[in-house]
Amino acid sequence: MLKIAVYGKGGIGKSTTVSNMSRALASQGYKVLQIGCDPKADSTANLTGGKRIETILDLIRRKNQNISLDEMITVGDGGVLCVEAGGPTPGLGCAGRGIINALELLEEKKAYEVYKPDVVFYDVLGDVVCGGFSMPMRDGYADKVFVVTSGEAMAIYAAMNIALAIENFKDRGYATLGGIILNRRNVPEEDAKILKLSEDTGAPVVGKLTFSQTVREAEALHKTVIEAFPESDMAKEYIELSKAVLEHTKK
Amino acid sequence: MNGIIIKAKDLDKNEVFSGGVEYSSPARGKWTIAHLSMLIPHSHQIYIGAICCLRGVALSAAEFNGLDRYSMIHIKDFDMVDTSMEGFVIDGVTDILNHLKSIPPCVLLYTTCIHHFVACDMNLVFRTLRERFPRVDFVDCYMTPTMRKKTAPDDLMRSQLYAALEQKEKKPKQINIIGNCYAKSHDSELYTLLEKNGYTIKDICTCKTYSEYKSMAESFCNIYMLPQAALAAAKLKSRLNQNFIYLPQVYTFDKIEQNLTLLSSSLNLTQSIDTEVLKQNTKTKIEQTKKIIGSTPIAIDYTATNRHVNLARFLLENNFNVFRIYTDVIHPEENDDLEWIKKNFPDTEFSPTIDYRCRFVNSLSKKSSDKKIAIGQKAAYFLNTEHFVNLIEDSELSGFDGICRLCGLLIDAYNNKKDMRNLIQVKAWGCEG
Repeated sequence: MLKIAVYGKGGIGKSTTVSNMSRALASQGYKVLQIGCDPKADSTANLTGGKRIETILDLIRRKNQNISLDEMITVGDGGVLCVEAGGPTPGLGCAGRGIINALELLEEKKAYEVYKPDVVFYDVLGDVVCGGFSMPMRDGYADKVFVVTSGEAMAIYAAMNIALAIENFKDRGYATLGGIILNRRNVPEEDAKILKLSEDTGAPVVGKLTFSQTVREAEALHKTVIEAFPESDMAKEYIELSKAVLEHTKK
Repeated sequence: MNGIIIKAKDLDKNEVFSGGVEYSSPARGKWTIAHLSMLIPHSHQIYIGAICCLRGVALSAAEFNGLDRYSMIHIKDFDMVDTSMEGFVIDGVTDILNHLKSIPPCVLLYTTCIHHFVACDMNLVFRTLRERFPRVDFVDCYMTPTMRKKTAPDDLMRSQLYAALEQKEKKPKQINIIGNCYAKSHDSELYTLLEKNGYTIKDICTCKTYSEYKSMAESFCNIYMLPQAALAAAKLKSRLNQNFIYLPQVYTFDKIEQNLTLLSSSLNLTQSIDTEVLKQNTKTKIEQTKKIIGSTPIAIDYTATNRHVNLARFLLENNFNVFRIYTDVIHPEENDDLEWIKKNFPDTEFSPTIDYRCRFVNSLSKKSSDKKIAIGQKAAYFLNTEHFVNLIEDSELSGFDGICRLCGLLIDAYNNKKDMRNLIQVKAWGCEG
């Protein structure tokens, strides 16, 4: 089982990228579990036809601890297993608790042993703003962390913060930085900026995604590109990216 | 007591108190998580939490003369802002251990709600501490009232009492009694039967040294008597492959005999004991007791025994005047005894102990004019009687021998007054640091 955490600035395209990688790997015969670790709970929306699935926090609210594993996991397009951690009411509570609760409950219910996924993706919100958001990096969770970024300053700033958090945990046996995924926004000197980020963090650039209208069109259909436009160039890019991410995780 | 006492015939569920504003009586009764861990010989407990949470356990440690086995790490608000909680715990524990006169063989590390709220990586904490102090057994313990999930703190603590036991080669003639706060009487038929069949019995309550405690891992089987110890038994089965036998502490003859039969069949015991002689001796003792205390009203509370309904049934069957049981909930294991009482003594009273109205039931300033006997500290408090049996979780009682001992305790309670006020306010009677 390969466990992969994907971090990056909010709105940079993590969920789109992860969903497409999940769907691409599912097409190649892998059993994939995608866990959305974002209070917005929309990580897996393109795998479920835009239908919002009940989050683990919502399940806890509704049923306390009497939750079965089946209720926590929704089977999405291509058989991708979808989980959303969920979050608190905006302005209240603690977002990190959503992730902590979800990951603890999945472990308690032996999700990994029961479903035996080949690949697990943790799609994690933005910067590592508190301990809860670092949980997917921990020993026993992700093997590698990949950062999705564009050449925009704030995205690079967030990527550096994530790399710093991983560096802070280097003596703990936590996940290491597997690489950088460039999700282009076509800003000036984008490749050069990402190359600099790669040098500063010591992490390779494992894939570069084109800024493409195809992705927007697929999202408008509430589908992944792999599902909506399987013959498109973007679909090929996601397939290549998913293979590269697996290769770098195995390293 | 107006409005809160329910007669047996009117009890339609197993709850005497079904929720609401709660009251805590000054009669403490049972052991808490802070007391139970003292059963591990030479262990040291370290609590990490906010000072207001630590105040109570520090007072408990002082009360049971255990301050030399107690330390704490105080978390302040700024420790939460920009600190590695893992590093904070590791450094704090390291500092404490380095300042003790000698390094204890076992450290019980009590985390509090905040650690679990922020998902402090306790695997990392324990791994690091074990590397730093390889000769110390670190046991994870929990004081987490707001982060509580499914497992009751008492059950969890009783299971953690045995967490330092490590896999060892099993001795086919060594057996443990687990989960109790008090050692069972060596004169009980449980001991007699097992020893007659060549068994050595280990109990954490009688372990004087840490190595003796660790040798409990050599037992092939665990006997537990309280439902609160079921988790401990299950974990030991899973971790050390120790089988378990549940022999609930009961008072009625048929159930005591069922226990002995189950024990014999589970262990294929070849030597038996003459239960008829035991029963006859016990009946004689009961008759003697009845002659002395006559129809003196008796009340029982749940801290005296988990099987308070069974004990009430036993006493009622033998013509004692049990008029009230203080309990908030009746365990489903007692359903048949409850039905028997409903049928045969329908006016037997059930009173809650935590309903807020219990606050106004009695006070130590009001003396009862009639002699009443209480079994258990809470019953003594609510009845305001100095004639009481200071029994907690069955104490040393077991089987027929236990009934004979109880008879002795009842006679003593009838004949002699106890200093109820000073006795009942001590938490966890018998716990000694």
